[in-house]
Amino acid sequence: MPSTSFKDELLSETRNLRAFAISLSGSVSLADDLVQESLLRAWSNSEKFQPGTSLRAWLFTILRNIYYSNYRKRSREVQDSDGLYARRLTVPGDQESHLDLEDFRNALTKLPAEQREVLTLIGASGLSYEEAAVVCQVGIGTIKSRLSRARAKLVELLELDVAPQPPAERKVRRAG
Amino acid sequence: MLIMKPARVSKFEKPGPAPDLPAETGTEAVQAIGRALEAHYADLVQAPLPDKFLQLLARLEGDKSDPKAQGKRDALD
Repeated sequence: MPSTSFKDELLSETRNLRAFAISLSGSVSLADDLVQESLLRAWSNSEKFQPGTSLRAWLFTILRNIYYSNYRKRSREVQDSDGLYARRLTVPGDQESHLDLEDFRNALTKLPAEQREVLTLIGASGLSYEEAAVVCQVGIGTIKSRLSRARAKLVELLELDVAPQPPAERKVRRAG
Repeated sequence: MLIMKPARVSKFEKPGPAPDLPAETGTEAVQAIGRALEAHYADLVQAPLPDKFLQLLARLEGDKSDPKAQGKRDALD
């Protein structure tokens, strides 16, 4: 039977779960339905959670299963972010990265879902390769290759490039 | 060196490599993506959480800890 501490643990993971759901579905309202359903399912299956393992990974697994069983078609029709991003973008918060956050988000939506979710799980949600493999129900090798393809695709989409020192700068250096 | 439009200066940008060394920008690009991803995700995590989730968990907890609520149907039978 779920305990109060289990409830508190669920609550402490809800923000992360919702962030993952938004990343997965591309829609805040869909994400909220997903989170709600996941919390209900987690609560009624709490005895299946193994203490000592990652509750976050367990919840992500539940949410992902619900999404792919019931919601994926719906989200393809919706594909909105319900103004969430637009609102956040008015806050000047992108100085920490020299990538424009809006450019980045656009690029992210162009990734295949399987690559985007792996990138999110590893790069943002803090899951290990092993945990991501469990969540996505694939091998670790597949996780690594999806991650690598996701990064390569973003590099391409964002026109990040390996380039030699710009000629202008070299001239300046030589002149100096 | 990382090429991006428009060019921006980041406080996290490391000093460029010595001019004669091949730039290891593959790594740098991956790091830039990593930082952007974290910033993007931080926005999502920090977004206000709808009250309904708190209420849902509180309700579930209430149902479980209150045998009357849980066994209402049984009691009626």
